[in-house]
Amino acid sequence: MFECVSAALSAIILVGYLVVRPPLVRATKLWLLLGLGVFPIGAAFAGNVQGFEATKERVFCGSCHVMALHRADSDDRASGSLASRHARNAMFGSENCYVCHADYGMFGTILTKAGGMRHVWLYLTEYRQTSLEEAKTTIHLREPSKMNGNCMQCHSTEDTLWLKVPDHRASVDDTRAGRLGCASEGCHGLAHPFFQAPGAPQKTEKP
Amino acid sequence: MSARPVDSGWLILSCVCALAALSLMMWQVFNPTVWPVIVAMSLGQVLGTASFAAFGYVVFADFRAQRRADRKSRSIRPQ
Repeated sequence: MFECVSAALSAIILVGYLVVRPPLVRATKLWLLLGLGVFPIGAAFAGNVQGFEATKERVFCGSCHVMALHRADSDDRASGSLASRHARNAMFGSENCYVCHADYGMFGTILTKAGGMRHVWLYLTEYRQTSLEEAKTTIHLREPSKMNGNCMQCHSTEDTLWLKVPDHRASVDDTRAGRLGCASEGCHGLAHPFFQAPGAPQKTEKP
Repeated sequence: MSARPVDSGWLILSCVCALAALSLMMWQVFNPTVWPVIVAMSLGQVLGTASFAAFGYVVFADFRAQRRADRKSRSIRPQ
């Protein structure tokens, strides 16, 4: 809302200047300072915040055609996939792609955004003409071993309830080290089960 | 402080760039998908910054011209 108001005020001043073309006196400069500086900076600041927030939304991730199946699966409330089950959780909701795939390090937000730009580059150079069927077998996680770290942001692997499960207890070291994926076929199943090449080992989702 | 036709071209360019940048920003707000967001945050930012820089240049040039004119009028004035 703020960005719309700022942009509208700025546009009124700028269009007014272009139509009237007043002489460059002090009052004109002050009006132009508002129209070219103060209001656009306000609009840009608020717009950027909104833009960054928008990049966390599933709708945003799903706006590249190769992610259409991921998005459709998360949107499907009847789906039993890990991605969909997490999307139904209020803590993830419409931002489930970002919450599961974000980098959680100290500079996590920046690294995640940089990674997103890498996705855009790959999309432009490699995946733009890729069909969905082809994408199923070519798109994959860059660092699958890091994914457990993201699962462990919520499922700490230290909770007594978690450790009560015999399979968890037996594999806790491998799970923490990322040698055994939480979202692997032997454990909780692939997060996006439809996105694996037949017979391909652990090849799933994003580039 | 006077109207300087040489500066008005920069100001018109500046206004047009700012309007284009604002349009891109609004496109991003109303259609928050990949391309609008990327274009707004790259091209939009560049256009907006360029428009403000052009305005700054015009104001600075005007200020300098004004000072030059003041100095000239002082030197012409009889002692």
